[in-house]
Amino acid sequence: MTADESALDELRSAVRNFLEAKSPEEAVRKLMESEPRYDPAVWAQLAEQLRLPGLAIPEEYGGDGFGPVELGVVLEEMGRALLCAPYFATVVLAAQALLASGDTDACARHLPGIAAGATTATLAVAENSGSWDPALISARAVRDGEGAWKVTGRKSFVIDGTTADLVLVVARTVAGPTLFAVDGTAPGLTAESMETLDATRAMARLTLDAVPATLIGSDGAGGRIMAKVLDFASVALAAEQSGGARRCLETAAEYARTRHQFGRPIGSFQAVKHKCADMLVQVELAEAASREAARLAAEGSPDYPVAAGVAHVACSRAYMFTAMENIQVHGGIGFTWEHPAHLYFRRAKSSQLLFGGPAVYHERLLDRLGI
Amino acid sequence: MEHDMQAFAAEVRRFLDAHVAKAPDRTAVTWGEGDDSMAYFSSLAPEEEREQVQRAREWQRIRYENGFGWITGPPEYGGRGLTPVHELLYDAIESEYDVADTGTLSVIGLGMIGPTILAHAPQPLKDHWLPAMYRGDAIACQLFSEPGAGSDLASVTTRAVRDGEDWVLNGQKVWTSVAQHSQIGLALTRTNPDAPKHRGITAFLVPMDTPGVEVRPLRQMTGGADFNEVFLTDVRIPDDHRLGEVDGGWTVALTTLMNERATVGSQGAGPVAGALSADRLSALMRATWTWDDRALRGRLAELLVDVLATEHLNARALRKLQAGVAPGPEMSVSKLLYGQNLTKAAHFVSDVLGPRAIADTGQWGTYAWNELLLATPALRILGGTEEIMKNILAERVLGLPKEPVTTAAKEGRQ
Ligand SMILES: Cc1cc2nc3c(=O)[nH]c(=O)nc-3n(C[C@H](O)[C@H](O)[C@H](O)COP(=O)(O)OP(=O)(O)OC[C@H]3O[C@@H](n4cnc5c(N)ncnc54)[C@H](O)[C@@H]3O)c2cc1C
Repeated sequence: MTADESALDELRSAVRNFLEAKSPEEAVRKLMESEPRYDPAVWAQLAEQLRLPGLAIPEEYGGDGFGPVELGVVLEEMGRALLCAPYFATVVLAAQALLASGDTDACARHLPGIAAGATTATLAVAENSGSWDPALISARAVRDGEGAWKVTGRKSFVIDGTTADLVLVVARTVAGPTLFAVDGTAPGLTAESMETLDATRAMARLTLDAVPATLIGSDGAGGRIMAKVLDFASVALAAEQSGGARRCLETAAEYARTRHQFGRPIGSFQAVKHKCADMLVQVELAEAASREAARLAAEGSPDYPVAAGVAHVACSRAYMFTAMENIQVHGGIGFTWEHPAHLYFRRAKSSQLLFGGPAVYHERLLDRLGI
Repeated sequence: MEHDMQAFAAEVRRFLDAHVAKAPDRTAVTWGEGDDSMAYFSSLAPEEEREQVQRAREWQRIRYENGFGWITGPPEYGGRGLTPVHELLYDAIESEYDVADTGTLSVIGLGMIGPTILAHAPQPLKDHWLPAMYRGDAIACQLFSEPGAGSDLASVTTRAVRDGEDWVLNGQKVWTSVAQHSQIGLALTRTNPDAPKHRGITAFLVPMDTPGVEVRPLRQMTGGADFNEVFLTDVRIPDDHRLGEVDGGWTVALTTLMNERATVGSQGAGPVAGALSADRLSALMRATWTWDDRALRGRLAELLVDVLATEHLNARALRKLQAGVAPGPEMSVSKLLYGQNLTKAAHFVSDVLGPRAIADTGQWGTYAWNELLLATPALRILGGTEEIMKNILAERVLGLPKEPVTTAAKEGRQ
């Protein structure tokens, strides 16, 4: 199901109003320095009032059955507002991994809780290198005498990993990388917070010591599931990035209109004006790339994997560029802790590198293009 | 609307199928086969060029006779009375076919001057010239730029002085594309040197065979001569060839500038379509053993992202148009990107080619890229320089303040 333009606009303004009220800058700043790094009350409202966790979950699992286009609108707004909440980890990474696994039992077990906002979840793939390359996974899973699975190993960069009720882990079996579900409170699982460049996105290191786990999908299917999730997550991240980039552009343009030096608004100086125009070009390109990718995903188009790669590169670049130029347009005030510009800079850089960074996403795109 | 568009598309295809063959896919390439030209501007000998213009006129006539010569034009002047969306759709479909390149007629004449005549010319001029232009008989050029008036077009100094029922024009125009093939030109002239500069300009339609009009080819850096200098010496133009009010020519000029053809959906045609294709670029890397150069691969990826994201941007603009929504800043952004993407592609390829780009080894598909490389500087200048485009985006889209007018500029207006 895909909503039409006016329904999308309605969704956007509902989410924007909500976030302006519940995730203003002060709230973001308070949460990014606290544990957990989100406000459970806001999370509950986001689920009850706006039904956002279930937006893109199929109706049969308790969701509203929308797709990546609507999810993209929500993520653009969350990216704009730097919302601190386990939305990306739960709804994008974990829910999509469950759906990609094709394991209907697992979906029926976990998705209704996620859709209702009752369960938070995450996906643990990367280890110390941060890579999503299945070949680099060393966590392992073995069966004990009764045939139950136990996972042992370490995972890093696990988004919202200290607070997730459900952790999906990719671990190696004799059949290859495989997806498992682990309870957030399972014995043998420890999660510690990692210090992060972007404090608005919590990350954890997990240590798993023979943690009881449930196989999701089929044994050895983890690589295929990861690839699917990564395409989807790149598009979702791209939406978040383009929302953040749009916000940086708006902030810079607003400042350029009002800040005076040499007796005139700085925006009347062409060096500043052209910086803003360059930012606009990047933002328009990023938005087009991320929204088209979402549309192609919704249509199940064969062009979707390429478009996902394009969105990831275009939005990573646009966000980083606008975040940097926003600080430059602000001058000294932009370099202070008090000014929000650095929060966007941090989010932009950390998003750009989240799934491997430029060298990796360049090769992934060329691979999707068959080059 | 949606249904209407589908019916129109089907009609377009029936027409094209009946007259021309499908174009070979320019973006798919078999290394070493076919034409390897990468020319953006024409690089033909004069004789060949005249033949090409002839082919363009013929194809335009066929379009016209079949109701596709002026899709947005009013029926009383031979137009079809449909929307710009229909035209964009037509262009998009036509680009799949192997038709004559009609750029000489269409980019400036049919795209910009025609709509200006329609909006501002007296009746007899419309009755005569509009059907002639859209039938392919008359080619039009834009006599705007002067040596002293480029970006600052309102500084034109070519004089027009009233003499009875006529006006007498004296001055020089420059960089006038297609003037050598044109039957008419739209000229901006100064009629009131005492008024502030935007208010003392008058526009005339100048038949190019009027005595005193002299077109001299101007060689450009590609080596060819697509544009010209046009000298106007005591050129007598009757007052009924005036467009708009006396001293009201700036409004006329704005109509022309605003009708600059939308780039949306029409980037796929011509040899340069292949310049931005993943297939062609990767085939080149294979042929030059640069396939696994990591730095070049990274640049290739970035270039393709620009190209593909620009396509997404155009697709979205087209979809907006189809839904009847006025397009946003996408169109100006897209024009800016088109030039930038081709420029990046040309330099990327030069770096892939290395020394093969500086002397012709005779190897297919290598040295030919210089035709594109040498054209790219023009893409940042023509139809409004990159800097002017950025000013427009910043001021009109982002609402940034205009440049303050300096004392010197004020004096310049006196
Ligand atoms: C291939 C080609 C075909 C053309 N065809 C035609 C045609 O058919 N008819 C016609 O009338 N003209 C034509 N032109 C002329 C074209 O429109 C002008 O060259 C263009 O508008 C720039 O003017 P200029 O060359 O005088 O440069 P200038 O205006 O002198 O500009 C020189 C430099 O200064 C910069 N600059 C100027 N003003 C500003 C400002 N306010 N802010 C920032 N930077 C500024 C420019 O961006 C540029 O970098 C053509 C040009 C080319 C290259």
